[in-house]
Amino acid sequence: MDSEDDMHDANDVESMDDDEGFYSDEMGMDYYGSDDDVDVDFGEDNEGIKRIEASRAENNFIILKESDIKQRQEEDITSVSTVLSISRAASSILLRYYNWSVSEVHEAWFADEDKVRKTFGLLKKPVIQLTSSRELTCGICFEAFHRSSIRSAACGHPFCCACWEGYIRTSIGDGPGCLILRCPDPSCGAAVGQDMITMLVSDEDNRKYSRYLLRSYIENNKKTKWCPAPGCEYAVNFVGDDENYDVSCLCSYGFCWNCTEEAHRPVDCSTVSKWIMKNSAESENMNWILANSKPCPKCKRPIEKNQGCMHMTCTPPCKFEFCWLCLGAWSDHGERTGGFYACNRYEAAKQEGVYDETERRREMAKNSLERYTHYYERWASNQLSRQKALADLHQMRTVHMEKLSDIQREPESQLKFITDAWQQIVECRRVLKWTYAYGYYLPEHEHAKRQFFEYLQGEAESGLERLHQCAEKELQQFLSADGPSKEFIDFHTKLAGLTGVTKNYFENLVSALENGLSDVDSQATCSGSSSKNGGSSKAKGGKGKGTSRAGGSSKNVDSTGMWTCEYCTYANSKHSTTCHMCHHQRR
Amino acid sequence: MSGGIARGRLAEERKAWRKNHPHGFVAKPETLSDGTVNLMVWHCTIPGKTGTDWEGGFFPLTLHFSEDYPSKPPKCKFPPGFFHPNVYPSGTVCLSILNEDSGWRPAITVKQILVGIQDLLDQPNPADPAQTEGYHLFIQDATEYKKRVRQQAKQYPPLV
Repeated sequence: MDSEDDMHDANDVESMDDDEGFYSDEMGMDYYGSDDDVDVDFGEDNEGIKRIEASRAENNFIILKESDIKQRQEEDITSVSTVLSISRAASSILLRYYNWSVSEVHEAWFADEDKVRKTFGLLKKPVIQLTSSRELTCGICFEAFHRSSIRSAACGHPFCCACWEGYIRTSIGDGPGCLILRCPDPSCGAAVGQDMITMLVSDEDNRKYSRYLLRSYIENNKKTKWCPAPGCEYAVNFVGDDENYDVSCLCSYGFCWNCTEEAHRPVDCSTVSKWIMKNSAESENMNWILANSKPCPKCKRPIEKNQGCMHMTCTPPCKFEFCWLCLGAWSDHGERTGGFYACNRYEAAKQEGVYDETERRREMAKNSLERYTHYYERWASNQLSRQKALADLHQMRTVHMEKLSDIQREPESQLKFITDAWQQIVECRRVLKWTYAYGYYLPEHEHAKRQFFEYLQGEAESGLERLHQCAEKELQQFLSADGPSKEFIDFHTKLAGLTGVTKNYFENLVSALENGLSDVDSQATCSGSSSKNGGSSKAKGGKGKGTSRAGGSSKNVDSTGMWTCEYCTYANSKHSTTCHMCHHQRR
Repeated sequence: MSGGIARGRLAEERKAWRKNHPHGFVAKPETLSDGTVNLMVWHCTIPGKTGTDWEGGFFPLTLHFSEDYPSKPPKCKFPPGFFHPNVYPSGTVCLSILNEDSGWRPAITVKQILVGIQDLLDQPNPADPAQTEGYHLFIQDATEYKKRVRQQAKQYPPLV
């Protein structure tokens, strides 16, 4: 690694490591207990983090650094080499073919050693006997060489060192295929292992080869993957079950083990992939163009009409003048077609139904685009909000905590509730973001589910807004205060309370979405009777960032069978008379 | 591989070919208008195998060697439009041993390439079609296919 890389990495770690605590408690403190370069910041935070994430995952993955990968790989090679009594180079070739599974190598080898040897080109003895003369002809350049300048794989086919070097270098240059290199002779399958490669090519090519070997150890193994974050060099060894795929790398990036997209609970992998595809797809551009533009009748370039009259003039070089309504040449227009600014040709044709089909398509494209835009904007704004919250959390840890500790005369450990709140905000923004992808794919006709979903989402969102507001705005006065204030204790209670409540909301939301809103099915009959009108008005309420919560929630209580606690806003089941969260009486 | 190796190897190939080559085949480096020899392009002739529909045809093939030869295989081209399921419309031959990603090995000789292509003529590989016409006829209409092959063989009579 050169110095520039080093610096870059160091910066990354510095700017990121604050949230490590939050994301990667389960990465195993023991595993890195002795490492002091990365997880310096863990310290006291770890306890609180455990609380937050404990219900989620317990040691279902291990983060591997390059040195760990090398060590594991070496150990596997040593193990195979010792047990099978073959060279390390040969062991490495076998492991590569068997996806680095030591047990599979053993199994195959002891089932049929000869077959394995033959298949992978690990010959016991040469297939050709060289003449005893002192000069040999290289099989590539056809020139005669002294025996001492000729090299061969186990098969004995003679090639000169220069030709070997060219052969191996080309193969390394072509990619990881060099790991399964065979003898240059066309009919020969003898393997060319790392021992020969080390001997025959430059240091640089050897480095590349080792790199491919290391990469293969991660990439060919079903239980390991590289962290997908840009620039991150860690790998993840997944040892958990299928239940929870969320993984957090040491670099602070959280991703889904299954699809390697960014962590996306409660939405499933296929929805995420559809959504991401949709966000990047050309189809949305096409929809927009279709909905908002018409092609110039002459040059066919799409034209957006954003204002003005129906008299269009295409941009040079085309300069065609035409009527926006009927797309006919402007020269055909005049008094007899209903004046310059209305087009009777169009009106007449429309009555005859000529334009209906295209108009309808435009209209549909426009509607579907608007629907998508609605969800996309909210998805994206939560994404932004989360990034901002991450930055704020960092700022809080590096700057404000110490300051606040001075002002309020409290040890920093007593102020942990603030960073807890911020961690919760970051996590909630992530969940909320993905609920918009979920909402986009929730079928329109499942009214009850949509209502329940929008209710849960609206509640979660307004809860989060309150928490965010409190952590962001209400904290300010204490940061700028001259000394300790009594209100700080109230603030403490409020923020800690909101954090807990919001956490519960989101856990509800996540579990409800993860089981496909199945609670709704049993209640579908009662909510099915609610008028279609009521449903759609509520939909608006839910989307409106939960501003008119009071009005919306009472309706939601009816349709979903839940009641909302007036004190903490927790959504309780209809049978309970006290709030499950704060134990206040139902009013 | 250093630039020198391609030419050195081709000079050796030339020597070996002169010493001994299969009957009916022609392979010689291109001679430029000023009389110099360009070892990087070889003009060859492949005879259709006796006892097949290809018999009687002497098919012209050009081998284009790159500076990476023999690390990389030469490009082998029949005249554009050559009728054969595994020949691209440009005339380029599609054959496993000529594929740098799979079958090619530096120790494959010009002789082995030419004999390999001769085998391919009468034994097309339907798993790897390179042109529509030849492939479809080969799969769907054996009679017409044979007819086209024999017709093409007549188009390429011996050069004598």
